[in-house]
Amino acid sequence: MNTQVLVIDPAAGLAREARAPREEGLPGDFAIWIFILAEMLAFGVLFVAYAFTRAGDVELFNASQETLNRTAGAINTLVLITSSYFVMRAVTAIKHGLSKDCAWWLGAALMLGGVFVGIKAMEFHDKFAAGITLSTNSFYMFYLALTFFHFMHVLMGMIILAFVIAKAWRGGYSRQDHVGVETGASFWHMVDLLWIILFPLVYVIR
Amino acid sequence: MNTYASSNRFSSVIWLLLMVLTLTTFAIGEAGMAGSGAMLGLLLIALVKGQIVANYFMGLRHVAFGWRAVILAYFLLVGGLIALAYRWA
Amino acid sequence: MQYQSQAVAKPYFIAAIGLFVGQILFGLIMGLQYVIGDFLFPAIPFNVARMVHTNLLIVWLLFGFMGASYFLVPEETETELFSPKLAIITFWVFLVAGALTVLGYLLVPYSTLAEMTGNNILATMGREFLEQPLITKIGIVIVALSFLFNITMTLLKGRKTSISLVLTLGLLGLAVFFLFSFYNPVNLVKDKYYWWWVVHLWVEGVWELILGAILAFVLIKVTGVDREVIEKWLYVIITMTLITGIIGTGHHYYWIGAPEYWQWWGSIFSALEPIPFFMMTVFAFNMVSRRRREHPNKAAVLWALGTGVLAFLGAGVWGFLHTLAPVNYYTHGTQLTAAHGHLAFYGAYVAVVLTMISYAMPILRGRAANSEKAQNMEKLAFWLMSISMLVITLLLTGAGIVQIWLQRISPTPMGFMAVQDQVSIFYWLREGTGVVFLIGLVIYISSFFVKGGAKAAA
Repeated sequence: MNTQVLVIDPAAGLAREARAPREEGLPGDFAIWIFILAEMLAFGVLFVAYAFTRAGDVELFNASQETLNRTAGAINTLVLITSSYFVMRAVTAIKHGLSKDCAWWLGAALMLGGVFVGIKAMEFHDKFAAGITLSTNSFYMFYLALTFFHFMHVLMGMIILAFVIAKAWRGGYSRQDHVGVETGASFWHMVDLLWIILFPLVYVIR
Repeated sequence: MNTYASSNRFSSVIWLLLMVLTLTTFAIGEAGMAGSGAMLGLLLIALVKGQIVANYFMGLRHVAFGWRAVILAYFLLVGGLIALAYRWA
Repeated sequence: MQYQSQAVAKPYFIAAIGLFVGQILFGLIMGLQYVIGDFLFPAIPFNVARMVHTNLLIVWLLFGFMGASYFLVPEETETELFSPKLAIITFWVFLVAGALTVLGYLLVPYSTLAEMTGNNILATMGREFLEQPLITKIGIVIVALSFLFNITMTLLKGRKTSISLVLTLGLLGLAVFFLFSFYNPVNLVKDKYYWWWVVHLWVEGVWELILGAILAFVLIKVTGVDREVIEKWLYVIITMTLITGIIGTGHHYYWIGAPEYWQWWGSIFSALEPIPFFMMTVFAFNMVSRRRREHPNKAAVLWALGTGVLAFLGAGVWGFLHTLAPVNYYTHGTQLTAAHGHLAFYGAYVAVVLTMISYAMPILRGRAANSEKAQNMEKLAFWLMSISMLVITLLLTGAGIVQIWLQRISPTPMGFMAVQDQVSIFYWLREGTGVVFLIGLVIYISSFFVKGGAKAAA
């Protein structure tokens, strides 16, 4: 998305957009990007640790992976990607000064976040009901650790979205000033980005 | 507003592409495909999806190259190490 | 001084420095006992010296935190302290209780002290850092509650800034986690769980919030950088701290009977614990280089930058050295741990309290900054203390590596005491460096008594 620079055309008395230079600053607050990188690093280490631990006991990992609900995982991937898409629509909307549209799109994304949490909670419930814990074996340790850690990030992202929605609804953001929306959006996209690796790694690749 | 409609059309196409890629990943899983080829294919799909999310959803394609490079390097490094671990097993 | 009630911080700072001197003296006694085992025996046995050394550290840092809070909170909330009188009463209660406890350690055998103070009613004594008798522990809780009450009431009636909120959250956590020290299960593994919930969640959790808030406050004052920028950094740093620090508790659960998965959780999350410390370093240097004013108190700026660097080295780098489970398998509880402990406590908590004292003391004494001469002495003291602590850390690291090799890796492992003889050269050098540290401390204290040439009144 290009920054829209407002140019007043005195003759027509109308506002129209001019293209800003191609290169821009990071979307959202710089601090959130430091945070995003740190989070990605944490997950990255966990992903790699999973892969190397698997190398030590491939049969166990393959057998345990079979017990996961891959369909639930795939649906959750679709849900998260779609919510990310909605968030992007919200950013586009606010860049065009459409506060209410922005809030609606974010609201839709938040709802999908709720769907993700619901499906994931069901998965956790099934596993716990089957008596699986962190100590069952290395695969389940990683499965529970990774997905639970990610789950917490979804919850945190939902809280952030809720704050942004409330402010957007009150008209707290504008065409010129919407760093807050972009900050929340960047965090939410990160949650999506991590799941994009997590899903194939833990549910599919064998 | 022309730019608004066209950028929305563009992001919808991107979204559809991500949906298709996700279903491909799922299908590979359902077909029970395993081995190096499947593993590399799945990692490659994840890489493509990650790049799309970072560059188009996050909007990094307008940002200084360094930041895009960081995300790309992350996917290559993490994906590379995962591939190494799988080959090594 | 903007608010009259900030003056209550002064006795807290003075007591903190006084107890700091005591801590260092007992450190030197203990350091000598490492090489001359019967030095001062039976008057001050090693275990007593150690207990006094570590307990004084904690108590003087608490005095420092409280003083810092009493100075910081009125200025941040833009209102007088809720009750300066209560703050002074709390001060005396805490000081007397602390002094009596230390005297108890020194004058009475520990088991007698335990009998005298009701340890048979509720057994809480005998655990490292939490050796205090039951009545002292109850006293600490009462002091902490009245202190928190005072700070919270002030916060409620005044402006609420991120810095004061983070600080209050940290202090609240400090009080809450201390409550685990009252539970001492017979099962040794469970005992360790609760013990670490005090010790670890203090120093690698809530204390870091206090550290972050104090550092952010001083940086705003000395650099004039926008509060908005500084608070943003503060939020990111404390979030990272809490995520890595809380799950990082797992790095204490290796080989003590806790479930195996802690080796993964502990390793991965505590490997990330240096990140918030690194961000703190970048933050401090970044803010100082973006400064919009030249504050006359250069010594405080030096301490603030020093906190950033030394905390990262001590807590971050030296912590990382032995935090991964496969490494810790060999290094658990060796001199490497002592090396980390020394630089982490000094770099993070000692340095931040001294940063605050350096900034606040001149103001409490009616001037924006001390004279050039006094500041130069303080800076010299900074370098002497910081470098000697770094050298002590390197020496203990050396001792630790030799110890690990001879005692745990070598094909013909030696016994603990035999190895201690082998590393005595490190201990001698450490003791000598400790004397340099003491000299630095004496110069530091003298800098408060330099007369004349004070810079414009605050």
